[in-house]
This record gives sequence, structure tokens and C-alpha cells, in this order.
Amino acid sequence: MSVPDYMQCAEDHQTLLVVVQPIGIVPEESFFRIYKRISAVSQVNVRDSQRVLYIRYRHHYPPENNEWGDFQTHRKVVGLITITDCSSAKDWPQTFEKFHLHKELYSATLYDSRLFVFGLQGEIAEQPRTDVAFYPSYDECETVEKRIEDFIESLFIVLESKRLDRATDKSGDKIPLLCVPFEKKDFVGLDTDSRHYKKRCQGRMRKHVGDLCLQAGMLQDSLVHYHMAVELLRSVNDFLWLGAALEGLCSASVIYHYPGGTGGKVGSRRAQGGSLSAEAGNRHRPGKNGILFLLCALTSNGINADTSAEIGRAKNCLSPEDIIDKYKEAISYYGKYKNAGVIELEACVKAVKVLAIQKRSMEASEFLQNAVYINLRQLSEEEKIQRYSILSELYERIGFHRKSAFFKRIAAMQCAAPSIPEPGWRACYKLLLETLPGYSLSLDPNDFSQGTHKGWAAVQMRLLHELVYASRRMGNPALCVRHLSFLLQTMLDFLSDQEKKDVTQSLESYTAKCPGTMEYITLPDGLKLPPVPFTKLPIVRSVKLLNLPASLRPHKVKSLLGQSVSTKSPFIYSPIIAHSREEKSKKIEFQWVQGDVCEVQLMVYNPMPFELRVENMGLLTTGVEFEPLPAALSLPAESGLYPVTLVGVPQTTGQITVNGYHTSVFGVFSDCLLDNLPGVKTNGCTVEVIPALPRLQISTSLPRSAHALQPSTGDEIFTNVSVQLYNGESQQLIIKLENIGTEPLEQLEVTAKTVNTKEKLYGDFLTWNLEDTLSQFPLKPGKTATLTVNIKVKLDFSCQENLLQDLSDDGISVSGLPLSSPFRQVVKPRVETKPINPQESSKSGDFSHVKTLEAILNFKYSGGPGHVEGYYRTLALGLHVEVEPSVFFTRVSTLPATSTRQCHLLLDVFNSTEHELTISARNNEDLILHAGECQRMAIQVDKFNFESFPETPADGTQFANAKQLEEERQQAKGLEINSKLDIWEASVEGVLNQVVLENLQLAPLQWGDFAGNCNFLGICYLAEDKPKIDIYFIISITVQ
Amino acid sequence: LLLSVVCFAPQNYPLYIRSVPTENELKFHYTVHTSLDVVDEKISAMGKALVDQRELYLGLLYPTEDYKVYGYVTNSRVKFVMVVDSSNTALRDNEIRSMFRKLHNSYTDIMCNPFYNPGDRIHSRAFDSMVNSMMMQVC
Repeated sequence: MSVPDYMQCAEDHQTLLVVVQPIGIVPEESFFRIYKRISAVSQVNVRDSQRVLYIRYRHHYPPENNEWGDFQTHRKVVGLITITDCSSAKDWPQTFEKFHLHKELYSATLYDSRLFVFGLQGEIAEQPRTDVAFYPSYDECETVEKRIEDFIESLFIVLESKRLDRATDKSGDKIPLLCVPFEKKDFVGLDTDSRHYKKRCQGRMRKHVGDLCLQAGMLQDSLVHYHMAVELLRSVNDFLWLGAALEGLCSASVIYHYPGGTGGKVGSRRAQGGSLSAEAGNRHRPGKNGILFLLCALTSNGINADTSAEIGRAKNCLSPEDIIDKYKEAISYYGKYKNAGVIELEACVKAVKVLAIQKRSMEASEFLQNAVYINLRQLSEEEKIQRYSILSELYERIGFHRKSAFFKRIAAMQCAAPSIPEPGWRACYKLLLETLPGYSLSLDPNDFSQGTHKGWAAVQMRLLHELVYASRRMGNPALCVRHLSFLLQTMLDFLSDQEKKDVTQSLESYTAKCPGTMEYITLPDGLKLPPVPFTKLPIVRSVKLLNLPASLRPHKVKSLLGQSVSTKSPFIYSPIIAHSREEKSKKIEFQWVQGDVCEVQLMVYNPMPFELRVENMGLLTTGVEFEPLPAALSLPAESGLYPVTLVGVPQTTGQITVNGYHTSVFGVFSDCLLDNLPGVKTNGCTVEVIPALPRLQISTSLPRSAHALQPSTGDEIFTNVSVQLYNGESQQLIIKLENIGTEPLEQLEVTAKTVNTKEKLYGDFLTWNLEDTLSQFPLKPGKTATLTVNIKVKLDFSCQENLLQDLSDDGISVSGLPLSSPFRQVVKPRVETKPINPQESSKSGDFSHVKTLEAILNFKYSGGPGHVEGYYRTLALGLHVEVEPSVFFTRVSTLPATSTRQCHLLLDVFNSTEHELTISARNNEDLILHAGECQRMAIQVDKFNFESFPETPADGTQFANAKQLEEERQQAKGLEINSKLDIWEASVEGVLNQVVLENLQLAPLQWGDFAGNCNFLGICYLAEDKPKIDIYFIISITVQ
Repeated sequence: LLLSVVCFAPQNYPLYIRSVPTENELKFHYTVHTSLDVVDEKISAMGKALVDQRELYLGLLYPTEDYKVYGYVTNSRVKFVMVVDSSNTALRDNEIRSMFRKLHNSYTDIMCNPFYNPGDRIHSRAFDSMVNSMMMQVC
């Protein structure tokens, strides 16, 4: 006997073995249908005795195992059912002949046999025969079960007769010696008359009768017989049979203790085909317990049934602990015989199953450990696989999942061993998958997303590698890619640099054939492999939604409604509000605009020791139709944090949520959801998309400036332009407005703001006329409009300390000069010295002379659907004006003129430019001033009646420009209102302060009642080498 | 010959693995991994006994042809497993026990380190050197 039946369990000892086989050509499907129906009849209540017979069906049974039938009768084939397909009457004799031949095979042990013929009709079928049954087809065979029951009954009759026959064999007759096949030659020539021999014969026969009793459903009887057999055999040291008797004792006790059976959960195993499961399921019927109990009571040894039943059972039946001890003993006896390896192995398996029921895992593992070392003979590869998987299953049953996984893995490896000509990669793969739970490995990457991986990395990695290899050899590249990406994703921390390289290389080579997807892969047996997104290639550390650039940012027209929302509560502080505010802060404040490119910034890094190419990286969003614009990037080896900007265009409006991103790395497409990423910092992922707005682009006639304004209000400047002007100069700035968006530009507002003006600024710095521009509105996409802005600078340069310094260096004391002798101050040499000094000063403090003015022009525009919703955009133009000083009045004094209505105003004019100037004032002659020159000019002015000033049109004519007059008048008015005393509004204030004082003193003496009058003066001058530019300059002097 | 020393977290993942012939490390991993079945079984069997009376030393977990595997479990269910060469018959049970106790003490020292998070892999020079000395001593 060489083929172990791993399915066997202790209660199989009470079964009768019936072999069901096809003869001739029977379709497999039909055979197994009939087989299933036959094997459903596994338990039969014998009519007259109320005993229960259990039948074990096999469709395959090696005849050499049959030879051990005397040793343990449940190994003996007692019944044979053959199924045949016979369509015509003329085939019948041949078929029948075959049946008889088949019977021969098991003839030594058979009690009875049956032949089921399908398809035959006619007169042969009409003949009533006990051993043959005819059915017209596989579908019309209702009586099969009945037939089987009859058959079993006939088996029972034979069994019962044998049992009675053997049981009543008393010592008077010569008892034949039962022996196992390998023993036969040992007993040749042995003295058959010795006491020893006789005892041996007796013992063996007792044991045999015990077996028969057990099979015939007489449990108590069998226990008694087994006990006797043990006694007899122990005395003659017949170890093999002693072992068998002990095992029989154990089996009977197990049947008694565990009516539910020990083979349970056998389920569908791979070994004997699918039919087993039905058999296993039917073996344990509910209510069997009751039957058995009844049975025990009824079948005890007849003489004094009612009284001794209980005592007998208690005495004969082994306790659960004893069962194991006896099993151990039996196995140790079996172990003495090399040829009984299979018996020993099966006994081990049975004992383990019993222990599993008893939940004594440690002892069970010892039995299994022993079973591992039982050396049968050179096993075929298939047998090895079977053995390993059975071991694995048994370990599983006693709760040793890791050990189970270990053996399953070995079985899997055996399936694909190099010695096998056709490796079963499919089976190997399937077994490998079953080992996963044992190595606490699941194929769902989400289970690995929490923190660092904790587990048996080395072992798990090995297993994954094997899965990859098996799936590749199976010819399923998609599966292979899935496992390989799983390996890379989850075991990244444990792979060495070289392994990382190898894995990615093989991954790339597989994905060349079959790119990795985000689909679930469903295996034939129903297991679903979830997709593996590469969230670690690259690793994303933070996700930040970016606001639109300042010029494109939408602003909401403020409404009362919006404000009331924020101040809903009447309380200044309430914890509830504070809480809701916290929530609010998670929401993103800004908005995105439909149709405009929106950006999300990711901080990523590459954990690989080589350059990582990420292709097709884009955003995953929900809520709004979004057109992502994927990017490709290449991250250097083990890069630090690396910013990546992903962009896309929202196509509709509403709330958009950025869920994650998708990538394609090594040919594997992954959708990485942010929820599944550990340790990602984000500023919120939901943002509102508002309807489309137009886009404005501006270009100007002035050159762009690198000089960036420092905006105080946080507005960002779109463009900066700069211009250099002399003080008093004016220039036009032409601004081209182009609508580069897709929506019409319907509304435009322009505002200007001067920033960081420490300087006193006179007049309007920037003026424009918007109406001309607005007449071109609405501006269609692509169209251009222009806006002209006038820039005029008027600054006060009189405080320039350097200049004053220069002047005093010349020896001219401004303050010290009495006004009564102004002519004395006109010192000739001054003119000569002048050209030298300003040059020096221009060398040393050139820049300090320059003042800057900065202003921001804000364009507020809107249009399209966004305008309807109340949104607008702003665009800011920074204007940087450098103002250079032009002319200074270093001294001012007055001189009475010939007329009392008039006086002379004496001005020391200093040209601080490098150009020659012509100064024209009133009706006077033009005064030409060379660069750096200072000259005095005298202007006759009407004494001015302060009260009547605003109404004096005559004064107005003296000014070159009527508009100028208007401005001056405004200024004068301002003065009139604001100033009491000592206030001079002029570009020469610093110098004039002295003059004012003097004037105040002098006024009563010389001008009498004119003290409160004002004098105005206009001076224009031209730069000679820049004739194109009209430079004018106005001084206003107010004398109070 | 002491071949391998492994520490497990209560959740049965390794905190520390050290084996001497490094070329066949995977084999040790398998051996030790399967030994956990026995450790679990022994612990669950012990669960019924009073906790304070519990013996921390689990004894021989299982012998294979080449190795003997011994186990030890602390009260916080941190497990230690040692794999010893089967041929080393000189090694007494008491010695194994004292080695485990040393291991336990060393582990306690690690836990006292405020910078060590329980459950992390052990990267401790002191522990390493202790294991080293133990391996040297047995060899």
C-alpha cells in the first residue's frame, strides 16, 4: 500500500467502501451526475435491525490498497457499482463481459456488485435482473437511489453474516491468520501450533471482528472486541496489529464522542474531484446523534442489554485524553514497520483531525511534525504537492496559519518545480494567493497606506516576487504588472537600490506589452485585485491650490447682503461662531474663473536612486467639468522637495474639488486620491469657479521698467513703466487696452493712486479723459482701445540741502542780506564761479537731486457672464516717474517800482540742469541761462489786491496759459482758506522763508497797506536742445 | 551556536532581526515566522493562568532538523525568539533562560529611551552589542 488517503478521518472506520466506476465510454459529466446521486445515499437505516450503515464511495481506488482490507476492513472494497453507456442490443454481451472483467479486479473482497446500463432499451432491458439495472437515459433514472439502497441492504446481509460467522468462531476451530501483504513471507514455515501463534491468530481475528462490528453499526460490540484484541496482541508483541487494534479503539471512541465527525470542513479539496464535497456534506446528518445513542443502547452485547449498556460504555469507551494517548501509542507501533508508512501517516492525519476538534493545537502540531518526517518512498511530484497542501490544510485547521502558509507556499513551488516537464504555473499561482493571509499580506494597497509598513518585509517581498514570476509564466502580463507595482508601492522602503532598479526595469519591460491600469483585475476564481496607484512615485508632500495671478483675480462687487452673512450673530464673541469660523478658514477664500487656466502646486520628491520620469501628470477633480492639462516631469535621483504645478481649465461653474492627481510612471497609470495619501499638507481642496470674465492686456507708449513698485495695499502690479521728467514737464502716456479674453469687455473704471508721496505735489499729477475710450465699448475679444493719460510733475525742490550748501559755499548768504540793498547781492564773480560749482555738486550728489514719484493706475473692468454675477477684475499699472530738478529760485526779494501800484520782484534763478535754458516771464525779455548758471531777473508786477484777486481778469492775461491761471487761483484760494501766516507755496520755499520774514517786516514800511497782498508770477522756460518738448514752469509766490 | 535573535511587537511584526550567517537570512525569516504560530498558541494556552504567576520563558518552541527555536514573552506581549543550532547540545535550558532575561533587560532599557517610540524598529547600539556579545559567548 503506497497511496495515502489524506482525506481519511476516524469515522471512516465505520464505513463500507463502495467503488463506483464507469466502463466503456461514459461521458464524464453524466458519470459524475450519476455518481453524485449515488453518493448521496451515504447513510442507510437497515430495515429490520435499526442499525445505520455508512457508505464511503470512491470512483477511484488503487487495488493495492484493497490488499490491506483484512488489516482494516474499511479499506476493503465491498461493493462495486459500474456505470456503462450501451446504445444497442448488440453491444450488450460485450458490455456485460466487461463488467465481469471489472469485477475480477476487486473480486477477492467484493460482497456484491451492480451494473447500471444507460441508453439500452428493448427486450434485454425488460429482463428482471438483480445485478443489472437498465435506464433509458441519464435523465430518466428516478429509481437509482432506491436501487442503491437495495444494494446496500444486500451488502449489509453479507456483512452481517460474516460478522456473525467470525464472531461465533470459538477457539475450538482453527482460526486462520490474517495478515497484511508484506507479512506473508514472514510466516512461511512458522509453527502454527504454538500457543504464541494461536494467540496471535486470535488477537488478529478479534480485531477483525471489531472492525466488522463497527461497520455493521454495533459500536459497543466493537469496543469490546477491540479491547480484547489489544490484550491478546499486546501479550504476543504483535505490534502492527496491536497498533491497528488501538486505532480501532480510538476510532470507535471518536465516533462515540464526536458524532458531528472530525473530518468536517473538508470542503471541496482538489484531490478527488468535486464529488467529494457532496459526500462530505451528507455524512453528518442532523439527528445522527440521537440515532447513535439509540444504537448504542440497542446493540450492546445482547445478554443484559438494559443494565450493562451504560456501564459497558463507560468502561470500554476511551476518554478524549485517552484517545490521543492511544493514537500516540498506535502510531509508535506503526512506526516500527517501514512498510506501514501509509498507515502511520493516515493515523497521524486522523489524530490531528481529532485534536483539532479538541482544540489541542500544540499536540496536533507534534503529530503533524511527526507526519512530516514519515518517509514513504520516492514520491511523485504530484503526490508531493498533495502532501504539502494537506499539511497546510491541517495546520490551518489547528490555527497555525503561518505554518500553513509556509507549506502551501512549498506546495506552490513544487507545482512549478524545474523537474516537472509541464510546470503548473496556474496552480502555483493559485496556491500562492492562498498563502497571502498567512503572511499577513493583502493585495489591497490601502491596507498599507497607514504609516510605515510593519511586517515581515523579507518574507512578504519574496512571496510577491514569486507571485510576479508565476503570473508572468502564466502568460498574464496584466496580473504581473499589478503584482509588480504592488511590490514597488508597498515594499519601497525595504528594497535596496539595486532591487529598486531591477524591479522598475522589469516593470517597464512588462508595461511595454501591457500598460498598468486603474481597473480591478478579476481572477477566474472571483478574487478581485484592486488597482495599485503609485502614491510613492513620486511622493507628494503638499498640495496647494493657487490663486489666479493678481491681474486675473476676480473681485466681487461688495453688496450689503454679503456683509450681513458674516455678522449674522448678534454676539461679538461666541464659541459657536469661533468654531464655525475655524471651519471657514479651511475653505479657500479665492475663486477660480471659468475658462481661465488654474494652477495647483504640489511639492513632490523622488525616493528612487535614479531619475524618475513622470508622464501625463494631471489633476483629478469633481464638481465641475475640468479640462486638465497634463504635464510631464523628470525628477532627479533622490531629489529634495520639488515644486510641480499642475494646471487645468474649468469649463463650467460651481464648486470644484481637487481629489487627487493621476500619473503615468514606468508605464503604469495611477490615480492617486488625496484622501489615501498619508501626510499630505493641503490648504483645502474645494474652490468656487465663477463665470467667465474678459481679460485685459495693456501696453503703453513708455518703456517698461525693471523698477518694481512696492505696493502698500497688497495690490500686485501688472506692468511697470517709467519715465524721466524735469520738474514741471508734462508728458502724454498712451495706454493701449486689448481684450485678450473670450468675453466682451463691457465696463471699465480707471482710478489713480499716488504712493509714497513724501513730496509735496502741486496740481494734478495724472489726468485723463475716459469718455473717448468708453465710446469704443463694449470691446469685443481681440479688439483694442486706447486711453491717453497726461502726466505732469510739479515738485518742490527747494529743500535740497545740497543745493543750498552749494549756494552758501559761493559766499552768498541768503538770510543775511538786507532786502533794502538787493543790488549789492548781484555779485558779478558769482556768474563766473557758478559753472564750476554745480558741476562738482552734480558729480557728488547727482542722484540726490532726483526725486521719484510713483503712482498706480487701476483698471477695474468686467464683462460677460461674470459681470452679470457681479464680479470684476482689476489690472494695475505702475508708473514710476523720476523728476529732475530744473530751475531754482535761490533768492527772492522785492523792490519798489516807480509806480506805487507796482513793484519789482527780484528772483535769483539757478539752472540746475545740464542744458541751456531760456526763461520767459511775462512781458520781459527772455533770459538765457546756461547749465549751472544763476542769474537774477527782475519782473515788474502789479501790486495785488488780495481781496480782489479772484475777480481780477487782468492778472490772468499775464499768464501764458489761461488754464494755468485757473490752477493758481485754486491754489490761492486754498491758501486763503488755510493759511494765516508764514505759509509760502512755492518751489523755493526754503529760501523764501527768510524773505517772508523780511517782507513781513518791510511791508508796513514800504508797501504800507499792501502787506496782505499776493503776487503771482509765471515763468516759462524752454530747453534748447529739446525743442520738441514744451516745458513750462510756474511759480506762485504768496506774500502775506 | 546562536544563530538568530528576533524581537516581535505584540502585533507579531518584527522589531529586531539579527541572524549570524547573513547569506541565508530568508530561511531564518521563514523559521521564525512559522514559530510565531507556536508562540501564539502557547500564549493563548497560558492566558488562563494568573498573569502574575506566568512564566515568561516559553521553552523550546519546536525543533527542526537543523535548529532549535526557543521563545520568551514579556508581560506586555513583546516576544523574543532565539534560533540555536540543533547540534549544540551543551546549551542548557537555564542558559537559554538567562540569555532571554538579558535580552529582556536590554529591551527594557530601550523602552526607557524617551526618543524611542514603542512599535518602531529597534536601532540601538547598546542592544546590538548586547546581542553580539551573546552570540559570541555561545559560539
